[in-house]
Amino acid sequence: MAATWPVLPQLVVYSKETLNDEPTMQLRTDVTTRAEQVAYLAGALDGLYAGPAIPSPIRGGRRAALRRLRAFDARGYARTRNDVAKRGVSVLSPYLRHGVLTLAEVRDSILSRFGHTPDTEKFVNELAWRAFWQLVYAQLGDRIQHDLEPAKHRSRAPRRQLPPEVAAASTGLVCIDESLRELYTTGYMHNHARMWVAAYLQHWLGVDWREGAELFYRHLLDGDPASNSLSWQWVGSTFSHKPYIFNRHNVERFSDGAFCARCPLAAGGCPFDDSYENLAQRLFGVSLAELEGRR
Amino acid sequence: MSSAIVWLHGDSLSPTDPALLANPAAPAIFVFDEPFLAAAQLSFKRLFFLYECALEAIAGRTGSIRRGVVVEEVRAFAAEQQATAVHVTASVAPRFRQYVAELRAAGLQVVMHEPPAFVTWRGEPPRRFSAFWRRVAAEALRPTGTGPVLPAEHEVE
Ligand SMILES: Cc1cc2nc3c(=O)[nH]c(=O)nc-3n(C[C@H](O)[C@H](O)[C@H](O)COP(=O)(O)OP(=O)(O)OC[C@H]3O[C@@H](n4cnc5c(N)ncnc54)[C@H](O)[C@@H]3O)c2cc1C
Repeated sequence: MAATWPVLPQLVVYSKETLNDEPTMQLRTDVTTRAEQVAYLAGALDGLYAGPAIPSPIRGGRRAALRRLRAFDARGYARTRNDVAKRGVSVLSPYLRHGVLTLAEVRDSILSRFGHTPDTEKFVNELAWRAFWQLVYAQLGDRIQHDLEPAKHRSRAPRRQLPPEVAAASTGLVCIDESLRELYTTGYMHNHARMWVAAYLQHWLGVDWREGAELFYRHLLDGDPASNSLSWQWVGSTFSHKPYIFNRHNVERFSDGAFCARCPLAAGGCPFDDSYENLAQRLFGVSLAELEGRR
Repeated sequence: MSSAIVWLHGDSLSPTDPALLANPAAPAIFVFDEPFLAAAQLSFKRLFFLYECALEAIAGRTGSIRRGVVVEEVRAFAAEQQATAVHVTASVAPRFRQYVAELRAAGLQVVMHEPPAFVTWRGEPPRRFSAFWRRVAAEALRPTGTGPVLPAEHEVE
Protein backbone atom coordinates (compact mmCIF):
# COMPACT_ATOMS: atom_id res chain seq x y z
CA MET A 1 0.00 0.00 0.00
CA ALA A 2 1.10 3.55 -0.62
CA ALA A 3 2.85 5.05 2.37
CA THR A 4 1.30 8.47 2.31
CA TRP A 5 0.97 9.56 5.89
CA PRO A 6 1.33 13.22 6.65
CA VAL A 7 4.52 14.50 8.23
CA LEU A 8 3.64 15.70 11.70
CA PRO A 9 5.68 17.40 14.39
CA GLN A 10 6.99 15.05 17.05
CA LEU A 11 5.59 15.96 20.41
CA VAL A 12 8.21 14.63 22.75
CA VAL A 13 8.21 15.17 26.48
CA TYR A 14 11.44 14.34 28.24
CA SER A 15 11.27 12.94 31.71
CA LYS A 16 14.22 13.40 34.06
CA GLU A 17 13.70 10.45 36.33
CA THR A 18 14.66 7.68 33.94
CA LEU A 19 17.15 5.11 35.13
CA ASN A 20 19.44 5.59 32.18
CA ASP A 21 20.27 8.63 30.10
CA GLU A 22 17.87 7.81 27.28
CA PRO A 23 15.01 10.26 26.93
CA THR A 24 11.64 8.81 27.86
CA MET A 25 8.81 9.47 25.55
CA GLN A 26 5.60 10.13 27.40
CA LEU A 27 2.54 10.20 25.20
CA ARG A 28 -0.13 12.77 25.80
CA THR A 29 -3.35 11.54 27.36
CA ASP A 30 -5.28 14.81 27.12
CA VAL A 31 -5.98 15.03 23.39
CA THR A 32 -9.73 15.16 23.11
CA THR A 33 -11.21 14.50 19.68
CA ARG A 34 -10.53 11.31 17.74
CA ALA A 35 -9.21 13.25 14.73
CA GLU A 36 -6.73 15.12 16.94
CA GLN A 37 -5.70 11.90 18.63
CA VAL A 38 -5.01 10.33 15.23
CA ALA A 39 -2.88 13.25 14.11
CA TYR A 40 -1.07 13.27 17.42
CA LEU A 41 -0.35 9.54 17.56
CA ALA A 42 0.81 9.49 13.94
CA GLY A 43 3.68 11.75 14.97
CA ALA A 44 4.29 10.33 18.42
CA LEU A 45 4.70 6.77 17.14
CA ASP A 46 6.53 7.74 13.96
CA GLY A 47 8.79 4.90 12.83
CA LEU A 48 6.81 2.24 14.68
CA TYR A 49 4.14 1.50 12.05
CA ALA A 50 3.84 0.99 8.32
CA GLY A 51 1.38 2.55 5.92
CA PRO A 52 -0.95 5.51 6.21
CA ALA A 53 -1.96 6.97 9.58
CA ILE A 54 -5.64 6.19 9.19
CA PRO A 55 -7.59 4.65 12.08
CA SER A 56 -10.02 1.78 11.81
CA PRO A 57 -13.74 2.56 12.00
CA ILE A 58 -13.69 0.04 14.86
CA ARG A 59 -13.05 2.01 18.03
CA GLY A 60 -10.84 0.89 20.86
CA GLY A 61 -11.82 0.95 24.52
CA ARG A 62 -14.20 -0.71 26.92
CA ARG A 63 -17.14 1.58 26.16
CA ALA A 64 -17.01 0.74 22.46
CA ALA A 65 -16.63 -2.94 23.35
CA LEU A 66 -19.77 -2.90 25.49
CA ARG A 67 -21.72 -1.08 22.78
CA ARG A 68 -20.64 -3.75 20.31
CA LEU A 69 -21.62 -6.51 22.72
CA ARG A 70 -25.02 -4.95 23.22
CA ALA A 71 -25.55 -4.54 19.47
CA PHE A 72 -24.74 -8.18 18.67
CA ASP A 73 -27.86 -10.27 18.15
CA ALA A 74 -26.96 -13.93 18.53
CA ARG A 75 -30.24 -15.14 17.04
CA GLY A 76 -29.50 -16.73 13.67
CA TYR A 77 -25.74 -16.94 14.35
CA ALA A 78 -25.45 -20.65 13.50
CA ARG A 79 -27.08 -20.05 10.12
CA THR A 80 -25.44 -16.75 9.15
CA ARG A 81 -21.98 -16.86 10.72
CA ASN A 82 -20.33 -18.32 7.62
CA ASP A 83 -21.95 -15.83 5.28
CA VAL A 84 -19.58 -12.97 4.50
CA ALA A 85 -22.46 -10.88 3.10
CA LYS A 86 -25.05 -11.40 5.86
CA ARG A 87 -22.51 -10.81 8.62
CA GLY A 88 -24.18 -12.61 11.48
CA VAL A 89 -20.93 -12.30 13.44
CA SER A 90 -20.15 -10.19 16.48
CA VAL A 91 -16.91 -8.37 15.48
CA LEU A 92 -15.86 -8.67 19.12
CA SER A 93 -12.48 -10.20 18.27
CA PRO A 94 -10.40 -6.99 18.60
CA TYR A 95 -11.73 -6.54 22.15
CA LEU A 96 -11.33 -10.20 23.12
CA ARG A 97 -7.80 -10.27 21.76
CA HIS A 98 -6.72 -7.30 23.89
CA GLY A 99 -8.54 -8.34 27.06
CA VAL A 100 -11.00 -5.45 26.81
CA LEU A 101 -13.67 -8.12 27.10
CA THR A 102 -13.08 -11.61 28.48
CA LEU A 103 -14.39 -14.81 26.93
CA ALA A 104 -16.19 -15.54 30.19
CA GLU A 105 -18.10 -12.26 30.33
CA VAL A 106 -19.08 -12.44 26.66
CA ARG A 107 -20.32 -16.00 27.15
CA ASP A 108 -22.27 -14.97 30.26
CA SER A 109 -23.83 -11.97 28.55
CA ILE A 110 -24.93 -13.90 25.47
CA LEU A 111 -26.35 -16.86 27.39
CA SER A 112 -28.22 -14.66 29.86
CA ARG A 113 -29.74 -12.48 27.14
CA PHE A 114 -30.48 -15.09 24.46
CA GLY A 115 -30.77 -18.30 26.50
CA HIS A 116 -29.49 -21.73 25.56
CA THR A 117 -30.25 -22.25 21.87
CA PRO A 118 -28.38 -23.86 18.96
CA ASP A 119 -27.29 -20.30 18.01
CA THR A 120 -25.81 -19.40 21.38
CA GLU A 121 -24.23 -22.84 21.74
CA LYS A 122 -22.53 -22.41 18.38
CA PHE A 123 -21.31 -18.97 19.47
CA VAL A 124 -19.85 -20.32 22.72
CA ASN A 125 -18.22 -23.10 20.71
CA GLU A 126 -16.50 -20.42 18.59
CA LEU A 127 -15.35 -18.60 21.72
CA ALA A 128 -13.80 -21.90 22.80
CA TRP A 129 -11.59 -21.89 19.69
CA ARG A 130 -9.84 -18.85 21.06
CA ALA A 131 -9.44 -20.51 24.47
CA PHE A 132 -8.03 -23.61 22.76
CA TRP A 133 -5.44 -21.73 20.68
CA GLN A 134 -4.35 -19.84 23.81
CA LEU A 135 -3.76 -23.12 25.65
CA VAL A 136 -1.66 -24.42 22.76
CA TYR A 137 0.31 -21.16 22.82
CA ALA A 138 0.79 -21.41 26.59
CA GLN A 139 2.20 -24.90 26.11
CA LEU A 140 4.35 -24.37 23.02
CA GLY A 141 5.27 -20.68 23.08
CA ASP A 142 7.11 -19.49 19.99
CA ARG A 143 7.19 -23.02 18.57
CA ILE A 144 3.74 -22.22 17.12
CA GLN A 145 5.61 -20.16 14.51
CA HIS A 146 7.01 -23.39 13.02
CA ASP A 147 5.23 -26.37 11.45
CA LEU A 148 3.73 -28.28 14.37
CA GLU A 149 3.21 -31.44 12.31
CA PRO A 150 4.26 -32.56 8.85
CA ALA A 151 1.81 -31.31 6.21
CA LYS A 152 -0.62 -34.10 5.38
CA HIS A 153 -0.53 -33.03 1.73
CA ARG A 154 1.58 -30.38 0.05
CA SER A 155 0.36 -28.17 -2.74
CA ARG A 156 2.10 -28.82 -6.05
CA ALA A 157 2.28 -25.07 -6.70
CA PRO A 158 5.92 -23.97 -6.90
CA ARG A 159 7.03 -22.13 -3.77
CA ARG A 160 6.99 -18.39 -4.17
CA GLN A 161 7.10 -15.26 -2.08
CA LEU A 162 4.05 -13.17 -1.35
CA PRO A 163 3.24 -11.56 -4.71
CA PRO A 164 2.89 -7.76 -4.81
CA GLU A 165 -0.71 -8.09 -6.09
CA VAL A 166 -1.67 -9.55 -2.74
CA ALA A 167 -0.19 -6.59 -0.86
CA ALA A 168 -2.01 -4.27 -3.29
CA ALA A 169 -5.33 -6.21 -3.23
CA SER A 170 -5.15 -6.40 -7.02
CA THR A 171 -5.06 -10.12 -7.80
CA GLY A 172 -8.02 -9.63 -10.14
CA LEU A 173 -10.11 -12.10 -8.12
CA VAL A 174 -12.90 -10.04 -6.62
CA CYS A 175 -13.54 -12.37 -3.66
CA ILE A 176 -9.88 -12.22 -2.66
CA ASP A 177 -9.32 -8.53 -3.40
CA GLU A 178 -12.44 -7.37 -1.55
CA SER A 179 -11.45 -9.43 1.48
CA LEU A 180 -7.92 -8.02 1.43
CA ARG A 181 -9.21 -4.50 0.96
CA GLU A 182 -11.42 -4.85 4.01
CA LEU A 183 -8.41 -6.07 5.97
CA TYR A 184 -6.22 -3.17 4.85
CA THR A 185 -8.83 -0.46 5.44
CA THR A 186 -10.62 -1.68 8.59
CA GLY A 187 -8.24 -4.16 10.24
CA TYR A 188 -10.97 -6.80 10.20
CA MET A 189 -11.77 -9.71 7.90
CA HIS A 190 -14.66 -12.15 8.15
CA ASN A 191 -13.64 -15.65 9.29
CA HIS A 192 -14.78 -17.37 6.10
CA ALA A 193 -12.88 -14.83 3.98
CA ARG A 194 -9.78 -15.44 6.12
CA MET A 195 -10.09 -19.12 5.27
CA TRP A 196 -10.43 -18.40 1.54
CA VAL A 197 -7.47 -16.03 1.47
CA ALA A 198 -5.28 -18.34 3.57
CA ALA A 199 -6.11 -21.32 1.34
CA TYR A 200 -5.60 -19.32 -1.85
CA LEU A 201 -2.19 -18.06 -0.76
CA GLN A 202 -0.95 -21.45 0.42
CA HIS A 203 -2.52 -23.96 -1.93
CA TRP A 204 -3.01 -22.01 -5.17
CA LEU A 205 -0.09 -19.58 -5.02
CA GLY A 206 2.43 -21.71 -3.10
CA VAL A 207 3.17 -19.00 -0.50
CA ASP A 208 4.60 -20.18 2.82
CA TRP A 209 2.00 -19.87 5.60
CA ARG A 210 4.36 -17.75 7.70
CA GLU A 211 4.34 -15.01 5.09
CA GLY A 212 0.57 -15.02 4.94
CA ALA A 213 0.31 -15.05 8.71
CA GLU A 214 2.70 -12.11 8.92
CA LEU A 215 0.61 -10.11 6.45
CA PHE A 216 -2.55 -10.78 8.47
CA TYR A 217 -0.83 -10.05 11.75
CA ARG A 218 0.35 -6.66 10.55
CA HIS A 219 -3.17 -5.55 9.66
CA LEU A 220 -5.65 -7.32 11.94
CA LEU A 221 -6.91 -5.41 14.97
CA ASP A 222 -7.41 -8.86 16.49
CA GLY A 223 -4.00 -10.07 15.25
CA ASP A 224 -2.98 -12.68 17.78
CA PRO A 225 0.06 -14.98 17.54
CA ALA A 226 -1.95 -18.01 18.63
CA SER A 227 -5.26 -17.58 16.76
CA ASN A 228 -3.53 -16.32 13.63
CA SER A 229 -0.55 -18.66 13.21
CA LEU A 230 -2.47 -21.72 14.37
CA SER A 231 -5.36 -20.96 12.00
CA TRP A 232 -2.87 -20.67 9.13
CA GLN A 233 -1.46 -24.04 10.16
CA TRP A 234 -4.97 -25.45 10.38
CA VAL A 235 -5.64 -24.37 6.77
CA GLY A 236 -2.28 -25.79 5.67
CA SER A 237 -2.67 -29.14 7.52
CA THR A 238 0.38 -28.74 9.74
CA PHE A 239 -2.05 -28.54 12.68
CA SER A 240 -5.05 -30.43 11.30
CA HIS A 241 -5.66 -33.70 9.50
CA LYS A 242 -6.27 -32.23 6.03
CA PRO A 243 -5.66 -29.04 4.06
CA TYR A 244 -8.67 -26.74 3.85
CA ILE A 245 -9.81 -25.98 0.28
CA PHE A 246 -12.83 -24.19 -1.14
CA ASN A 247 -14.34 -23.68 -4.58
CA ARG A 248 -16.33 -21.10 -6.48
CA HIS A 249 -19.60 -22.69 -5.48
CA ASN A 250 -18.67 -22.14 -1.83
CA VAL A 251 -17.78 -18.48 -2.48
CA GLU A 252 -21.05 -17.84 -4.32
CA ARG A 253 -23.14 -19.56 -1.69
CA PHE A 254 -21.62 -17.67 1.23
CA SER A 255 -21.39 -14.23 -0.36
CA ASP A 256 -24.86 -13.97 -1.84
CA GLY A 257 -23.19 -14.29 -5.26
CA ALA A 258 -22.04 -10.68 -4.92
CA PHE A 259 -18.32 -11.22 -5.56
CA CYS A 260 -18.72 -13.42 -8.63
CA ALA A 261 -21.36 -11.07 -10.07
CA ARG A 262 -18.68 -8.38 -10.30
CA CYS A 263 -15.73 -10.60 -11.14
CA PRO A 264 -14.19 -10.40 -14.62
CA LEU A 265 -13.03 -14.01 -14.23
CA ALA A 266 -16.53 -15.33 -13.56
CA ALA A 267 -17.03 -15.98 -17.27
CA GLY A 268 -13.78 -17.91 -17.55
CA GLY A 269 -10.44 -18.31 -15.82
CA CYS A 270 -11.64 -18.44 -12.22
CA PRO A 271 -9.10 -20.66 -10.42
CA PHE A 272 -11.74 -21.74 -7.91
CA ASP A 273 -14.34 -22.81 -10.48
CA ASP A 274 -14.06 -26.57 -10.17
CA SER A 275 -15.33 -29.57 -8.23
CA TYR A 276 -13.55 -30.54 -5.02
CA GLU A 277 -12.51 -33.78 -6.68
CA ASN A 278 -10.76 -31.90 -9.50
CA LEU A 279 -9.25 -29.34 -7.14
CA ALA A 280 -7.74 -32.10 -5.02
CA GLN A 281 -6.10 -33.50 -8.16
CA ARG A 282 -5.02 -30.13 -9.54
CA LEU A 283 -3.63 -28.68 -6.32
CA PHE A 284 -2.31 -31.74 -4.51
CA GLY A 285 -2.21 -34.51 -7.10
CA VAL A 286 -4.42 -36.79 -5.03
CA SER A 287 -8.07 -37.82 -5.01
CA LEU A 288 -10.49 -36.01 -2.74
CA ALA A 289 -10.79 -39.14 -0.62
CA GLU A 290 -7.02 -39.20 -0.16
CA LEU A 291 -6.91 -35.48 0.58
CA GLU A 292 -9.52 -35.92 3.29
CA GLY A 293 -7.70 -38.90 4.76
CA ARG A 294 -10.50 -41.30 3.92
CA ARG A 295 -8.19 -43.56 1.98
CA MET B 1 2.93 8.41 46.96
CA SER B 2 2.22 4.72 46.62
CA SER B 3 3.95 1.40 47.06
CA ALA B 4 2.57 -0.30 43.97
CA ILE B 5 2.04 0.48 40.32
CA VAL B 6 0.02 -1.41 37.73
CA TRP B 7 1.65 -2.39 34.45
CA LEU B 8 -0.84 -2.75 31.60
CA HIS B 9 0.01 -4.62 28.40
CA GLY B 10 -1.72 -5.43 25.15
CA ASP B 11 -3.30 -8.66 26.40
CA SER B 12 -5.28 -6.94 29.14
CA LEU B 13 -5.89 -3.35 28.21
CA SER B 14 -9.13 -2.55 29.99
CA PRO B 15 -10.37 -0.52 32.96
CA THR B 16 -11.58 -3.92 34.20
CA ASP B 17 -8.08 -5.42 34.08
CA PRO B 18 -7.78 -7.58 37.23
CA ALA B 19 -4.53 -5.92 38.34
CA LEU B 20 -6.20 -2.50 38.06
CA LEU B 21 -9.32 -3.61 39.90
CA ALA B 22 -7.18 -5.01 42.72
CA ASN B 23 -5.39 -1.64 43.04
CA PRO B 24 -8.05 1.03 42.61
CA ALA B 25 -5.79 3.96 43.48
CA ALA B 26 -2.47 2.78 42.05
CA PRO B 27 -0.78 4.61 39.18
CA ALA B 28 -0.77 2.65 35.90
CA ILE B 29 1.52 2.51 32.89
CA PHE B 30 1.23 1.21 29.34
CA VAL B 31 4.29 1.12 27.07
CA PHE B 32 4.37 0.94 23.28
CA ASP B 33 7.15 -1.63 22.91
CA GLU B 34 9.59 0.25 20.72
CA PRO B 35 12.05 -2.51 19.65
CA PHE B 36 9.20 -4.94 19.01
CA LEU B 37 7.07 -2.47 17.05
CA ALA B 38 9.99 -1.07 15.07
CA ALA B 39 10.62 -4.61 13.80
CA ALA B 40 6.99 -5.71 13.40
CA GLN B 41 5.82 -2.62 11.45
CA LEU B 42 2.14 -3.14 12.23
CA SER B 43 -0.48 -0.95 10.65
CA PHE B 44 -1.33 2.34 12.35
CA LYS B 45 -4.88 1.07 12.88
CA ARG B 46 -3.69 -1.46 15.41
CA LEU B 47 -1.58 1.03 17.36
CA PHE B 48 -4.38 3.57 17.44
CA PHE B 49 -6.77 0.90 18.70
CA LEU B 50 -4.31 0.17 21.53
CA TYR B 51 -4.01 3.86 22.31
CA GLU B 52 -7.79 4.23 22.60
CA CYS B 53 -7.91 1.17 24.87
CA ALA B 54 -5.05 2.46 27.03
CA LEU B 55 -6.59 5.92 27.42
CA GLU B 56 -9.79 4.43 28.80
CA ALA B 57 -7.95 1.94 30.99
CA ILE B 58 -5.95 4.60 32.86
CA ALA B 59 -8.70 7.23 33.01
CA GLY B 60 -9.38 8.50 36.52
CA ARG B 61 -5.99 7.62 38.01
CA THR B 62 -2.36 8.65 37.66
CA GLY B 63 -1.49 7.13 34.34
CA SER B 64 1.30 7.14 31.85
CA ILE B 65 1.43 5.97 28.23
CA ARG B 66 4.95 5.79 26.83
CA ARG B 67 7.00 4.55 23.94
CA GLY B 68 10.26 2.81 24.77
CA VAL B 69 11.82 -0.35 26.15
CA VAL B 70 9.07 -1.90 28.27
CA VAL B 71 11.11 -3.11 31.22
CA GLU B 72 13.08 0.14 31.44
CA GLU B 73 9.95 2.27 31.29
CA VAL B 74 8.14 0.21 33.91
CA ARG B 75 11.19 0.44 36.18
CA ALA B 76 11.44 4.18 35.65
CA PHE B 77 7.75 4.67 36.37
CA ALA B 78 7.97 2.56 39.54
CA ALA B 79 10.92 4.69 40.69
CA GLU B 80 9.06 7.92 39.94
CA GLN B 81 6.08 6.68 41.93
CA GLN B 82 8.33 5.34 44.71
CA ALA B 83 6.83 1.91 44.23
CA THR B 84 8.56 -1.39 44.88
CA ALA B 85 5.77 -3.64 43.60
CA VAL B 86 4.43 -4.02 40.07
CA HIS B 87 0.97 -5.55 39.70
CA VAL B 88 0.18 -7.10 36.35
CA THR B 89 -2.31 -9.49 34.77
CA ALA B 90 -0.81 -12.72 33.45
CA SER B 91 -0.41 -13.44 29.74
CA VAL B 92 0.69 -16.62 27.99
CA ALA B 93 2.97 -14.74 25.57
CA PRO B 94 6.64 -15.75 25.88
CA ARG B 95 7.70 -12.10 25.65
CA PHE B 96 5.55 -11.30 28.68
CA ARG B 97 7.25 -14.00 30.76
CA GLN B 98 10.62 -12.65 29.73
CA TYR B 99 9.73 -9.10 30.79
CA VAL B 100 8.45 -10.34 34.16
CA ALA B 101 11.73 -12.18 34.71
CA GLU B 102 13.69 -9.02 33.84
CA LEU B 103 11.63 -6.88 36.23
CA ARG B 104 12.25 -9.40 39.02
CA ALA B 105 15.95 -9.53 38.21
CA ALA B 106 15.96 -5.74 38.58
CA GLY B 107 14.72 -6.11 42.14
CA LEU B 108 11.04 -5.31 41.71
CA GLN B 109 8.35 -7.40 43.30
CA VAL B 110 5.99 -8.57 40.54
CA VAL B 111 2.50 -9.52 41.69
CA MET B 112 0.63 -11.56 39.10
CA HIS B 113 -3.15 -11.47 38.71
CA GLU B 114 -5.02 -14.14 36.78
CA PRO B 115 -7.55 -13.18 34.11
CA PRO B 116 -10.99 -14.72 34.70
CA ALA B 117 -11.05 -18.21 33.22
CA PHE B 118 -13.45 -19.27 30.47
CA VAL B 119 -13.05 -22.91 31.44
CA THR B 120 -10.71 -24.55 33.92
CA TRP B 121 -8.02 -26.62 32.31
CA ARG B 122 -4.98 -28.29 33.79
CA GLY B 123 -2.15 -29.85 31.87
CA GLU B 124 -1.46 -30.01 28.19
CA PRO B 125 -4.21 -29.34 25.68
CA PRO B 126 -5.09 -32.03 23.13
CA ARG B 127 -3.88 -31.64 19.53
CA ARG B 128 -7.35 -31.07 18.10
CA PHE B 129 -10.15 -28.69 18.98
CA SER B 130 -12.82 -31.39 18.80
CA ALA B 131 -11.16 -33.33 21.63
CA PHE B 132 -10.85 -30.11 23.65
CA TRP B 133 -14.49 -29.17 23.08
CA ARG B 134 -15.75 -32.61 24.12
CA ARG B 135 -14.07 -32.16 27.46
CA VAL B 136 -15.03 -28.53 28.17
CA ALA B 137 -18.43 -28.09 26.48
CA ALA B 138 -20.54 -28.58 29.61
CA GLU B 139 -18.47 -26.09 31.60
CA ALA B 140 -18.14 -23.62 28.73
CA LEU B 141 -21.93 -23.50 28.36
CA ARG B 142 -22.52 -22.88 32.07
CA PRO B 143 -22.69 -19.14 32.77
CA THR B 144 -20.89 -17.83 35.84
CA GLY B 145 -22.99 -14.66 36.02
CA THR B 146 -24.99 -12.40 33.75
CA GLY B 147 -22.08 -10.57 32.13
CA PRO B 148 -21.21 -6.88 32.26
CA VAL B 149 -23.80 -4.13 32.58
CA LEU B 150 -24.45 -2.97 29.04
CA PRO B 151 -24.88 0.67 28.03
CA ALA B 152 -28.43 1.90 27.46
CA GLU B 153 -29.88 1.58 23.98
CA HIS B 154 -29.78 5.34 23.30
CA GLU B 155 -26.09 5.56 24.08
CA VAL B 156 -24.64 5.40 20.59
CA GLU B 157 -21.40 6.59 19.04
C1 LIG C 1 -6.23 -17.58 8.55
C2 LIG C 1 -6.95 -17.16 9.80
C3 LIG C 1 -6.35 -16.24 10.67
C4 LIG C 1 -7.00 -15.84 11.84
N1 LIG C 1 -6.38 -14.94 12.68
C5 LIG C 1 -6.99 -14.56 13.83
C6 LIG C 1 -6.37 -13.64 14.72
O1 LIG C 1 -5.25 -13.17 14.50
N2 LIG C 1 -7.05 -13.28 15.86
C7 LIG C 1 -8.28 -13.79 16.15
O2 LIG C 1 -8.84 -13.42 17.18
N3 LIG C 1 -8.89 -14.67 15.33
C8 LIG C 1 -8.28 -15.08 14.19
N4 LIG C 1 -8.91 -15.97 13.36
C9 LIG C 1 -10.17 -16.60 13.80
C10 LIG C 1 -11.45 -15.89 13.32
O3 LIG C 1 -11.39 -15.64 11.96
C11 LIG C 1 -11.72 -14.58 14.07
O4 LIG C 1 -11.63 -14.76 15.46
C12 LIG C 1 -13.12 -14.07 13.75
O5 LIG C 1 -13.25 -13.86 12.38
C13 LIG C 1 -13.38 -12.79 14.51
O6 LIG C 1 -14.59 -12.22 14.09
P1 LIG C 1 -15.85 -12.08 15.06
O7 LIG C 1 -15.45 -11.51 16.37
O8 LIG C 1 -16.88 -11.33 14.29
O9 LIG C 1 -16.24 -13.62 15.25
P2 LIG C 1 -17.52 -14.30 15.89
O10 LIG C 1 -17.99 -15.33 14.92
O11 LIG C 1 -18.51 -13.32 16.36
O12 LIG C 1 -16.89 -15.10 17.12
C14 LIG C 1 -16.83 -14.60 18.44
C15 LIG C 1 -15.44 -14.73 18.99
O13 LIG C 1 -15.00 -16.07 19.04
C16 LIG C 1 -13.61 -16.16 18.76
N5 LIG C 1 -13.44 -16.98 17.54
C17 LIG C 1 -14.35 -17.24 16.59
N6 LIG C 1 -13.85 -18.08 15.67
C18 LIG C 1 -12.58 -18.31 16.00
C19 LIG C 1 -11.53 -19.08 15.45
N7 LIG C 1 -11.70 -19.82 14.35
N8 LIG C 1 -10.34 -19.08 16.07
C20 LIG C 1 -10.15 -18.36 17.20
N9 LIG C 1 -11.11 -17.62 17.78
C21 LIG C 1 -12.30 -17.59 17.19
C22 LIG C 1 -13.12 -14.76 18.50
O14 LIG C 1 -12.55 -14.25 19.67
C23 LIG C 1 -14.39 -14.02 18.14
O15 LIG C 1 -14.35 -12.66 18.45
C24 LIG C 1 -8.27 -16.39 12.17
C25 LIG C 1 -8.86 -17.30 11.29
C26 LIG C 1 -8.22 -17.67 10.13
C27 LIG C 1 -8.89 -18.67 9.21
